[in-house]
Amino acid sequence: MSASFDFLPKVKNREATKLLPWVMAIMVYLSALAATGSLLLHSGFDDWASSLQGRITVQITGEDRDEIIVQSLEIQQLLRTTPGILTVRILSDQEISELLEPWLGAGNVTDDLPIPVMIDLETAEDAYVNLDALESKIKGISENVYVDDHARWLGHFYNLAYTVEYTALGILVMILLASVSIVIFGTKSSMSEHKNTIEIMHLMGAQDQMIAKAYQNRFMYYGLKGGIAGLVFSFLTVFGLLSLIQNLASGLVEMPTLPYLKLASLLLFPIFFALLTMLTARITVIRALGRMV
Amino acid sequence: MVEFRNVSMSYNKGFDVLNDISFKLETGSMHFLTGPSGAGKTSLLKLMYLANRPNSGEIIMFCRDVAKAAREDLPKLRRRIGVVFQDFRLLDHMSAVDNVALPLRIAGGSGPQIVEHVEELLSWVGLDDRMLANPSTLSGGEKQRVAIARAVIRRPDILLADEPTGNVDPEMSERLMYLFVELNKLGTTIVIATHDNNLVEKIGAPRLHLEGGKLLHLEGTKKNIGLNLDKDAGQS
Repeated sequence: MSASFDFLPKVKNREATKLLPWVMAIMVYLSALAATGSLLLHSGFDDWASSLQGRITVQITGEDRDEIIVQSLEIQQLLRTTPGILTVRILSDQEISELLEPWLGAGNVTDDLPIPVMIDLETAEDAYVNLDALESKIKGISENVYVDDHARWLGHFYNLAYTVEYTALGILVMILLASVSIVIFGTKSSMSEHKNTIEIMHLMGAQDQMIAKAYQNRFMYYGLKGGIAGLVFSFLTVFGLLSLIQNLASGLVEMPTLPYLKLASLLLFPIFFALLTMLTARITVIRALGRMV
Repeated sequence: MVEFRNVSMSYNKGFDVLNDISFKLETGSMHFLTGPSGAGKTSLLKLMYLANRPNSGEIIMFCRDVAKAAREDLPKLRRRIGVVFQDFRLLDHMSAVDNVALPLRIAGGSGPQIVEHVEELLSWVGLDDRMLANPSTLSGGEKQRVAIARAVIRRPDILLADEPTGNVDPEMSERLMYLFVELNKLGTTIVIATHDNNLVEKIGAPRLHLEGGKLLHLEGTKKNIGLNLDKDAGQS
């Protein structure tokens, strides 16, 4: 292993590398935001999807309230005898009012509104319920029936969620590539600034690893310093946004369960960026020195 | 031993700055490298301190052809060569002490004994009160002495100096030459590129004379190499 000591001069204000910690802070900030957004979306979607998994809603509409109540009881009876259906429950007026409250406001659900009767079904996990056959049976009781199988449109949301997650991953990859390019540029600029120092070290018998070590240590420090600052700001931004959402959109948007363990993995971002910076600087220096005799 | 066998060199495939150079310097010898500006003196020194490779020919140093040595072997070989550059090439962000200590640190040395050793040498070249000064605050002569101290601090096997006395007064020039002669007596092979014919005459070491990239090998003017210095020149 080659000896190591910092022979490089202190960074002057005019040097491009002076800006590197700032750039790394921005990169880590953006990466952490992209990753946090993706994790929260994933978590929120999982919560929501798991609450809808295995559930079917039957809506019975009509103008005569008494008639639809009678029809709903008949349908309830029919559903209870259908294999694969575990529970059948008619939602109370109070529950329906609560569901409508975020859109209509508390106390605005009046009696003259044509509120449908809703039946909530829970199907067995391993059961196959033929929805088309079920719907045609129910339609024998009432024509104004709508069977809502959540799995149908849940699939579309899954696709959307995956698209958003892959987009976030793509953004992360782009940020990493941009970071690597910036570090290469910074290293080359610094090597050009300290050309005389490097040449002297080289001619006095310094091994490439010794010169590279001075650069990689310095650049790792830049990466770590910027990374920590970027992460702190990203956490502040995320928690600020979450509390805003919680205060403003209470009821309309359900807050996802915060995946603390996964979010804790973001603490590794500064270390990862520091290592990436270190490795990039090392490779850049070794390659540049390799062109010397 | 340093031996050049039919060495030619050009920069960027241009004309030959060194053309079919052959000579042999015995271990522990001292030679002057003379010639007009543009004769190829610095290029020849560059080949000897392994900064360049020749286009053709062999350069035998440390019992091997260094012209064909693997790149990863060169740093170790370079550490056995001390170089005084014409433009000093001191690191401006380091003090005189740190500049002189560089070769020792590169070789893996550390600790107070390095500083002690360096301070002793700087004191010997008359820079007691300038040890912590940065090169930018030193005069030309002071810089040159720091550069020489840096080149000799590790007692190199080969010492190459490009105009080492160009910026110092005659008294300091003699002191520095005394240092070179003493190092030579300890077995260091020395090559000094210079325009100073008086110095060459005074020391009496053999001369390698270059003109237009070709070598004319001239003999020394004295049987015994040395300086006719005042007795206390090396002690003050």
